[in-house]
Amino acid sequence: MAQNIIVSPSPHIYKRHSTQSVMLDVIIGLVPAMIAAVIFFRTKAVVLTLVCVASCCLTEWLCNLLRKKPNSLGDLSAVITGMILAFSVPPTLPYWAMIIGSVFAIAIGKMVFGGLGANIFNPAMAGRCFLTACFGTMMTTWTVPATIDPNMPQVGTVSQVPTVITQATPLALIKEVIKNKSAEQDEKIAAIKGIFKNMFIGSTGGCLGETSSLALLIGGVYLLIRKTISWIIPTAVLGSAFICAFIACELDPQHSVAPWIHLASGGLLICAFFIATDPVTAPLTKKGMWIFGAGVGALTMLIRLVGEYPEGVMFAILLMNSVTPLIDRFTKLTPAGGKPNA
Amino acid sequence: MLSQHIGAICKPVVNKRDHITTGQLIGNAEAFVSAPIYSPVNGTVKDIALQSHPVLGRAEAIIIESDEDNSPKQPCPDKFSADFDPRRFLPEQIFDAVRKAGIVGMGGAGFPTSVKIKANPNSPINTIIINGCECEPFITCDYRIMLEWTVQILTGVSLIGRVLNCDNIYIAIEDNKPDAVAAFKQAIQKMPSISGIKVVAVKTKYPQGDERQLIKSIINKNVPTGGIPPMINVLVANVATAAAIAEAVVLDNPLTHRVVTISGGGIKNPGNFYAPVGTSVSYLIELAGGLNNDAVKIILGGPMMGFAIADLSTPITKTGGAITILTEKEIGPAKRGQTPCIRCGRCIEVCPMNLNPTKIAHAAKHNLLETAEEYYMSACIDCGCCTYTCPANIELSGFIKTGKILVARQKKLMPK
Repeated sequence: MAQNIIVSPSPHIYKRHSTQSVMLDVIIGLVPAMIAAVIFFRTKAVVLTLVCVASCCLTEWLCNLLRKKPNSLGDLSAVITGMILAFSVPPTLPYWAMIIGSVFAIAIGKMVFGGLGANIFNPAMAGRCFLTACFGTMMTTWTVPATIDPNMPQVGTVSQVPTVITQATPLALIKEVIKNKSAEQDEKIAAIKGIFKNMFIGSTGGCLGETSSLALLIGGVYLLIRKTISWIIPTAVLGSAFICAFIACELDPQHSVAPWIHLASGGLLICAFFIATDPVTAPLTKKGMWIFGAGVGALTMLIRLVGEYPEGVMFAILLMNSVTPLIDRFTKLTPAGGKPNA
Repeated sequence: MLSQHIGAICKPVVNKRDHITTGQLIGNAEAFVSAPIYSPVNGTVKDIALQSHPVLGRAEAIIIESDEDNSPKQPCPDKFSADFDPRRFLPEQIFDAVRKAGIVGMGGAGFPTSVKIKANPNSPINTIIINGCECEPFITCDYRIMLEWTVQILTGVSLIGRVLNCDNIYIAIEDNKPDAVAAFKQAIQKMPSISGIKVVAVKTKYPQGDERQLIKSIINKNVPTGGIPPMINVLVANVATAAAIAEAVVLDNPLTHRVVTISGGGIKNPGNFYAPVGTSVSYLIELAGGLNNDAVKIILGGPMMGFAIADLSTPITKTGGAITILTEKEIGPAKRGQTPCIRCGRCIEVCPMNLNPTKIAHAAKHNLLETAEEYYMSACIDCGCCTYTCPANIELSGFIKTGKILVARQKKLMPK
């Protein structure tokens, strides 16, 4: 009996996974979107993502140093924040702006609350919100992917500079139709309908990692199969967005596009699978997840259809993040045996 | 050990240096919720002193030095035959025999069986579930006796049915043990005088052996929170308890022995042993060939709910169906770094009681006992699933257990 015996509370066996492995799964889930981004935006995608991830990690490391806390880079959550932030900005954004966004995302979005698990808002969305507030123009200037389809209809503002072609995103076009109800509306609606295939593959204008629905779906399905994320939030987000778009389409078919075009455009898919499912800022209970997801989908569509901005994912997420504690309180679980008779 | 069950601790009725014989009463149960204790061997009382106890830390025990010429008691399943008729015994006879034999729930809870089978006219039992589901992974003691003591168990089951005047009886066996299911079905056909016993295969999962989960699986009813199965007219008893009842009623043998599973990667020859209650863990380990070099944890009970012990002279009790010895490889790295809760909700998903473990555990950790109770801390069954599944390695179950102990202490200090 020479061995040292460990005494600790039960249970004595554990599932072999960790916060790190959960986060690693999310990173793997983002890889298809990364690949799509590299295909459509070439080196820009690589450099932007690297700048974002590096500055996020560096910020987290510095914050821990200042707070005299142990290094927490190992949980990989800063990498995810960096990737999602990079994926949700226009590819034309200068690097220095990206660095500012990353620093804000980690330092103010996460570390001031106490680090991973304590933040109220999704850090990447907080960072993007900051960028939108500071550099509004830059955040709404879009590049057409390098591998643009020559047959794609040229509508919207087309710049004459040969190296960088900027073009309105499908969502901006939809917004124009809704707001102006001008004579060219039919042409625009037709144009959007015409590029649905491009939207699915990803060769349209838009944010770095949001254009390819296919890649995001592959990543999302991977996360669902690995059970890294719950199926409830994506279903609720996409379901409620679909219903809202469907109602809009029924009410005003002339100025609306089909619901599936809405689902495939902008950040709705990356939101449904990667952003709204951020466990820290989403409710804990199943019922809460339904409410949260439905809220994100409905607010997104409300902003897209009625609001000033063409895209509403970011605000929808941040707004729903802020009510997550309330949702958790309202959806308190009842034990299997019912409430005890007090 | 004078505390082998839930309820009042027994009073020793022997003195130091007394010579005692097998089956002699050594600890008397005066209270109703209690069970007497008998000597499993011939021997001399060496001392009556405090001894390591798996749950209580230390408790009073009668230490018996066994005589050298002891002939060990053997299991006696062959003394029961298929033509047994429970109507040979009156309900009062059965109750008295069970009470006298000191039988307690042998699945692990250790609630005195006599209390459970005392007919309560206000809420009669209309469903009896015999629990043949192992309470935890690694444990196989119930499985072995189901195969080898089938008729004895059925005898005990029919006696429980007789004492409670109930013939709606289920024997629940996990579906990874089809041979045990078949053995029971065959044996029932050969026993003409028993009726109403149904054998059901239930899904193999942890914690299926918990009575609340089992009741839910079989009759799809929930035991009220804070309540007990009789409130919904159900009685759950373990197969080993049924076997002990058969022995007590038919052969008039007190409960002195039980089957213990010794398993895990840390033991040389894992197996099931028929051991006298009170045997020290170290002796049983010796019987099973000793420890392997990589054994790092010795657990009284199974890997999910068992108690890790440091003192190998700790004896097994009437409820201790297992000793599990785990290696470092099985428990994972010794130093599991705990990281912040990322609110992933996996603990909620696995909680069989539909609780919010992370909320309760964090409240308990920060001594916010009222918040913890608001989230129904007392409904927790300590199954450990939340800790098992937590990716942040938080000892959720440990915090909740501590919280429950703190609440119990508070209630003692400030009675209503």
